[in-house]
Formats: sequence, structure tokens, C-alpha cells
Amino acid sequence: MANAIDQTRRMLSLVTYLRERPGARVSDVARAFGVTEAELIGDLNVLPLCGTSFRGGDLLDIDTDGERIWWHNVDDVAQPLRLAADEAAALLVAARAVANLPGLRESDRQALLRATAKIEGAAGEAAGASSRLSVTFESEGSVFADVDRAIAERRRLWIRYYSPSRDELTEREVDPIRLFAVGHTYFEGWCYLSEDRRTFRLDRVAEIRLLDTPSDPPRIEPRDLSQGLVQPAGDDPEVVIEVGPGGRWVAEYYPHDLAEELPDGGLRITLRTPDPGSLRRLALRLGRDGRIVSPADLSGSARDAAAQALAAYGE
Amino acid sequence: MAIAKAERLMNLALCLMNTRRPVSKRELRASIEAYHEIGSDEAFNRMFERDKDDLRELGMVIETVESLDGEIGYLARRDRNRLPEIALDAEEAAALSLAAKVWQQARFAEAASGALQKLRAAGVPFHDEGDGDEGVREQSGHSALEPRIPTPEPAFEPLMVATRERRPVAFDYRKANAVRPEPRQVEPWALECWRGHWYLAGWDRDRTAVRVFRLSRITGRVRTRGGAFTTEVPDHVDVRAAVASWAGEGATATARIRLRRDSGYPLRARAVETIPVDADWDELEIPYGHGLDAWLVEFGPDVVVLGPDELRADVVDRLRAVAKG
Repeated sequence: MANAIDQTRRMLSLVTYLRERPGARVSDVARAFGVTEAELIGDLNVLPLCGTSFRGGDLLDIDTDGERIWWHNVDDVAQPLRLAADEAAALLVAARAVANLPGLRESDRQALLRATAKIEGAAGEAAGASSRLSVTFESEGSVFADVDRAIAERRRLWIRYYSPSRDELTEREVDPIRLFAVGHTYFEGWCYLSEDRRTFRLDRVAEIRLLDTPSDPPRIEPRDLSQGLVQPAGDDPEVVIEVGPGGRWVAEYYPHDLAEELPDGGLRITLRTPDPGSLRRLALRLGRDGRIVSPADLSGSARDAAAQALAAYGE
Repeated sequence: MAIAKAERLMNLALCLMNTRRPVSKRELRASIEAYHEIGSDEAFNRMFERDKDDLRELGMVIETVESLDGEIGYLARRDRNRLPEIALDAEEAAALSLAAKVWQQARFAEAASGALQKLRAAGVPFHDEGDGDEGVREQSGHSALEPRIPTPEPAFEPLMVATRERRPVAFDYRKANAVRPEPRQVEPWALECWRGHWYLAGWDRDRTAVRVFRLSRITGRVRTRGGAFTTEVPDHVDVRAAVASWAGEGATATARIRLRRDSGYPLRARAVETIPVDADWDELEIPYGHGLDAWLVEFGPDVVVLGPDELRADVVDRLRAVAKG
């Protein structure tokens, strides 16, 4: 349930919108305003309780039979309201971030830049605050363009992909499903090497080719990105890491179940991962800033790797 | 009681927009039913002030006018509240509505959709597409992209408002290697999201220098301080340049390493020069920026540092710490 301010904002736009559209369909209007039909009906129940002026003004005579919306005393009670500072910032920051994404189609970029300029003009001083806020999406432009094209033309991709956890490049055929950006840019697709759905980060694609094979991914639900990119399963093995103050960043980069404060300013972090071996890199990276407490074989493998590496320096 | 409040705000908004002369608080109280229920003057005054603030947050310009007999009146002039003519074509509207979906943070997500609602009410031709996978794929001609701005930390909202209103703030901040958070007093200049993390740049009053803070390291609440900024806000604040240099980018020095064949692809991708040494090893020259030692150690026995000596010593030092366990 949206709060009262959002509902008021929506209702103000609604009376302007409905004015031009007698008999508008509830389903169409709900979709246009990005709300459920029940929320829209909620708004339509409030509007008839609203007067149009401070003294003896008529109430808005707006009603609905659940399918269509009728306004019997249509009046020019509201006009499209100027943009608030938050609204202008939300649109402008987003539009600039997307427009600057390397690899975006030129036609989209141009459309966004034109739209941005027009919004800036219409927002006036409300646009000012948006310059204090910016978002950059990282992307590999040429890889982006190839994946984008493969999705549009429904073609299979061949990629050489780097997996940091194993420090290896693998060749795969993938039917791409979608491109998304969360800080970095990724694509999700059906991977024929792992016979499963996989997410690939564009800057880890070493080589990419569009194949003539049509893409034919099995129907799969798109991932819910709001839950974060890494979503460990409940039965994944547990790893416990203890870090000093210099290793606290681990809690910012690795999704975890638990991060307990330690007396020295460090953290005891408990996380789950399908492949604990992939954390050997982390153990090596941490150096004196932290260590893997369990499983024991993981901390052992990091120690062995360090000892082997030291041998090359004559130690 | 969300409904009651929305009804009250809506009535107030329509009253203020549809009057030609300033309307007094007394008249508004008499005219809007929701205000009848409020018993004390004090409670009414508080509610009225809050309601005006809420409408202003929606973008409404409410003027306060003192009449000849000294009474304060309010009105929202049509010409000052109208969204100026804005002619977006279908292409521009589509691009904008895609971009507007990037926010996951509640306040900006609502603000973005509120802005689109206003534009739509003003006649901008948004295509009312049903969302979803199929829709995205069908709309060929546009990049099939779903950009998302990661939900920022709780510190984001108060900092955003403080940055906009140029108010100094105070918060506790834990530096990367610090045992304990320390109090900071900052004049916030700009917020930037890079590689999925939010940063604040501003003037650190105690250090009397420009500082960049990572929002995830702010502990506890952000408190707004009274008074004005003591420094000039620069036109352009390059948060990213500061962060990128910590991330080891823009390095001008180079290092030489030996790298086992077929391993360390990201090192190879960055190499200035790669020379095969024998059947198993290559020699690479790579940029040497901040944090390279920690990164090289990740490759374990597949990397051997040849120089400079300082980097070699750092790497050996780190390896010793790990080998000890």
C-alpha cells in the first residue's frame, strides 16, 4: 500500500488524465499509472470526497462500475503539476546514467539525451539538484552491442568466459535472455555447457561471436534482481571467515548470513556458497587481514598455495 | 489512516489551486471536512503545516500572502504550478520510461513513477506496455536492457536531502582499516554510485580537506547540523576519479611478473607487454597501481613478481601471512 503522499500525487495526475478520457477503462488506467486495479478503485473511492474549491464547491462526481470510469461534472480542477525536485532528480539521474552506458544503441542514446534536455527545460530550477547526484553503469561497449543484437535477432552466442573462482577461461554456447546493469553490466542466458541458467558479467567475456543458430532457450522465470545477484541456496556448505579491521570489506562484497563484531574491530562472517573452493582466492587476498576458520580443508589449501608460491621466491 | 490523509491532502491541494485570491487558514479549516475533526488550534496548526510541506514535496508551489488586515492567506497559482509544455515524441517517451525503472530505492522509485504520471497527464505519449520478459524481447529497435540502480544504504536519503539543501551533516564513519568508527563533520557536495556502491564527496570540516566517503561505512544515523556551508561547492565534483585511484586505476607505473601459461586472464587482458619465457611461463608487464599486491597474491603459485622490489616484498609479506595460517 503506497503512502498518502504518493496516493495524492497519483490522484492529482489522475484528475487531469481522466478529464480527456470519458469512459476510460479501469484496466487501461491502472496500467498507465502503474498500479493495481484495486489501488485505482481505492483512488476512485476517495475522489468523490474531494471538493473543487474552498467555498461551496462541488465534489468531484467521478464514479466507476468497476470496468469504466465516468466523470459527470468534468471540470478543469487540476492541471499537470510541475515536477518536484525529487521527481526531476529521479528522472534525470536515471536518464543520464542509462544514456552514458557504453554499448547502448545510438538511437536510444539520442532519444534519451533529447528527452533529458526537454525534462531539464520543463523542470526549471527543480532540475538543479539532480546535478549533485550521479550513477555510472560500467559496461563493455562492444560485448554489450553483440549481446543486445543477439537478443533482438534471437541468435545463439559463442563466448570465451573468464571465471575468477577457477581462474580459467571456458568456451560456451549461450542463448541470451536479457541484459541488465547493477553497477556492472551482465547478461543472463541459457548456458549449454552447464545446461542451466547462468549470469555472465560483460567485462569477463574475453571473446564473443554471434552464431547463425537461432536462440531457443527453455522457458525460465527471469531472476528477481531485487534480492541481489548472489542468492545462495539453503543447503550450500557453510564457510566461516574471521577478519581484522582491514578485512571488513569482505562483508560488503560477499552476501552472508551473519557478521558478528569481534573485540579487535574485526568481524566473524558466516556465509554459504555452492563452491567453497572458490574462496581460496579470498583467503590468499586477505593475507594478515583475515583467515578462513572453516572448513579446514579450505584454509589448508590456501596455506599450501601460499607455501608453494613462496618457494618461487626461494623461501 | 492513509486514506483519510490522502483525502485531506487532495482537498487542500484542490482548494489552493482553484482559488483566485489567497485563502486564510481559518477559511481552509472551515471548508475542509478533515480539519473539522481536529479539536485544538495547536493540533490543527501542526497538521496544516505538515500538509503544506507534503504538498510542496509533490512539487506544488504554495504562496503565502499577507492581506491588508494582516491575515495570512495561501494560494497555489496556476501559472506557477503548471508543468510547462513538454513535447516528447514516442521514441523519447519510451526511452525515458525505460530509464525511469532503474530506481529500486523506494523514495526515488515513487518519485520517478510520479514524474511519469505527471508527464502522462500532460499528454506525453507513453506506450502502455504490459511489462515482462516477452514485452522486453518484442520491442526490437530498442536495447533489451534492464538497468537497476542498487538500493543504497539508509544514509543515502538524509545525505541526498542535505546535499540538495546545502546543510552540514555529522555521522560516524569507519575507515577501511579502522578499528572503530570516528565522528565526522561534513559539508556534503555530491553523491555518486559507481560499480554498484554509493559514495559521498564533501568538505571534511575537521580535516579541512575534500574527502570521499563510502556510504556502507557510515555507521549509525546521519544528523543534520544547523548553519551554512563554509566552503564554496565546486561545479564539478569528481567522485569517481578518487575512487578509481583507490581501485588501482589510472596507474602510470608498471610491474613485471611471471605468469603461468593459460592462467590469469585478467592480468593478460591488462598487460602492456607479454613475452613467452618457456613451455610453462610468460613474462608480463602490467600497470602497477594501488592494491596490485593483494590482487597478485590471489593467483597463488601461478604468479611470481619480478619487480619492482617493493611490490615483490609486499607480495612475499602477504604470502608469508597466509602460509602461517
